[in-house]
Amino acid sequence: MVMKQQNKQSRYRRVGTTSVAIKPGKSDHVFNLVVDLFLIVLLVIIAVPLWSTITLSFRPNDYIGNNLQGMFLAPWEWSFSAYKALLGNQGFLLAFKNSFLILTGGVVTALLLTIPLAYVLSIPTLPGRKYLSLLVVIPYVFNVGMIPTYLLVTNIGLIDHLAAIFLPGAISTYNCLIMRSFFEGLPSELKESARIDGASEIQVLVRIILPLSKAIIMTIGLFYGVSFWNDFFHAMLYLNSNHLQPLPILLRNILMASGMNEYVEVSAFGDAPIAAIKAASVFMSAIPMIIAYPFIQKYFTKGTLLGSVKG
Amino acid sequence: MSQVPGKKRGSQLARDIRRHRSVYLLLLFPLTYYIIFKYIPIFNGQIAFKEYMALDGVLGSQWVGLKHFKTFTNSYYFIELLRNTLMYSVGKLLFSLPLAIILSITIYECNKPTLRKMVQTLAYLPHFLSWVIMYGILLALLAPGDGIINDIIKLFGGKPLDFLTNTNAFPWIVIFSDAWKEMGWGAIIFIAALMGIDPSLFEAALVEGASSWQRVRYITLPSIRPVIIIVVLLRLGTILDAGFNQIFMLYSTPVLSVADIIDTWVYRQGLLEFQFGLATAVGLFKGFIGMFLILGSNRLVRRFGGNPLF
Repeated sequence: MVMKQQNKQSRYRRVGTTSVAIKPGKSDHVFNLVVDLFLIVLLVIIAVPLWSTITLSFRPNDYIGNNLQGMFLAPWEWSFSAYKALLGNQGFLLAFKNSFLILTGGVVTALLLTIPLAYVLSIPTLPGRKYLSLLVVIPYVFNVGMIPTYLLVTNIGLIDHLAAIFLPGAISTYNCLIMRSFFEGLPSELKESARIDGASEIQVLVRIILPLSKAIIMTIGLFYGVSFWNDFFHAMLYLNSNHLQPLPILLRNILMASGMNEYVEVSAFGDAPIAAIKAASVFMSAIPMIIAYPFIQKYFTKGTLLGSVKG
Repeated sequence: MSQVPGKKRGSQLARDIRRHRSVYLLLLFPLTYYIIFKYIPIFNGQIAFKEYMALDGVLGSQWVGLKHFKTFTNSYYFIELLRNTLMYSVGKLLFSLPLAIILSITIYECNKPTLRKMVQTLAYLPHFLSWVIMYGILLALLAPGDGIINDIIKLFGGKPLDFLTNTNAFPWIVIFSDAWKEMGWGAIIFIAALMGIDPSLFEAALVEGASSWQRVRYITLPSIRPVIIIVVLLRLGTILDAGFNQIFMLYSTPVLSVADIIDTWVYRQGLLEFQFGLATAVGLFKGFIGMFLILGSNRLVRRFGGNPLF
């Protein structure tokens, strides 16, 4: 019984419910109260900005109260006019499509480049492994900044190609090294026996390593996905044509627009309030991240990304 | 006699290479990628010592020695940029690190599973939002006319404030919004460390009659101290990165004197004013100092029992 209880509690040990029968003192009650209070206050602090943006996006056209009162507006009074306007707008749909292309193209390219490199770096008997590691780590340690990379992208003619958004970041050294530590941690007997049976390294990678590495590939793929989906800086630098603009650029233009403006024809979004249009486009841009989030959470809380520090 | 070991080593190498033949195939694309996208930029870094002319290219431009570096270190903005950069990176560290530690300990100590789950789920989420989205959220919160904060200020009869163009408010907005976004993510590493604490320590403390406060003070905090030290050291290694995307989204001309950091300045000089040589020199200056900081912090991390990535 005691054992069972301890097992149940072992992930989040609850000292107050261990087998030791001691009455909690007065200070323990105060302690628990302080802990709960802190977490509740924190919950409110995190939730309020999110909630205010969401309620703002559902603001009816003829609403007269201020934003503070708007947060308490009943859901049956919400209006979808801002979302209708966004989804009926060609520019918005195009930007969404561009972002989606960058996301998928970027994640596939990044994984196809990162996985083989991380695997080769993890082979302990590789001749010249030390030099290969050095080659990978040097650009990470010595960062020359944005201008030399900008010159490169310009010179190889990537300007105005969607690939310019993800190619400069297609191998993140950090992600690669996390993946390498994961591969190194896989049981070496499996790899060795396959090698003795005459399997080539490619076969070892595809047949043995990859099926065991779904979690890390998902995690790293999602990290890449988040960075490509959220990128606005490279898009701003490398994409000139209007029809190539991804969502973050459009969102930035919509947010910077104040009524009559030089960036976006806000009038193109129909009669929904401008503030509601802004908030709705914020929410729409975040939706893919919010959908992916539960899947990411499952992996990152396991600690796969904590390669840099042993807990 | 002396040839035998050499010959043996040679054939060993040949055998290794033959055995790893498919390795070179695996490395083909990643290494090509590294040479093009990581090493050509380092090669392009030479324009820090040149008067870069687009028509002459990187190689054809005239050498000017340390001219750009001198221009930078002698200019009035040198101190200002360095001060702002350090103000933001150190400020963020001092503010969000204790918050992340407190958050991890309260999550760990909380005995209400629903509350704990809710906090964990919601606190990690903002990390995945871009700074463009964050800017939209902050607008709904801080806008001078109709932001929530100003609604509250007006409710209590105060005067509304334009936070994002006010030089006194701006640094706090940067530090608070970063804490709001990253605090939960920063707590994960400490939560992982807390999970590793031996529960028998707590049982012993309970038997000895220690209060909850004493438990936190004498068991929990000392247990995660090595992780705290390592996190601080790793952050010190990137102390010159003050958060380009954040500042770039939030700053504007009225707050430039307190908002401009090295990276935003490099962006404006290089890509808006086309001072490629000067901008690259400043980037190189930052990269060079950053290199020593990262190597130093990695060495210290290893000394404190941590496991740096390289």
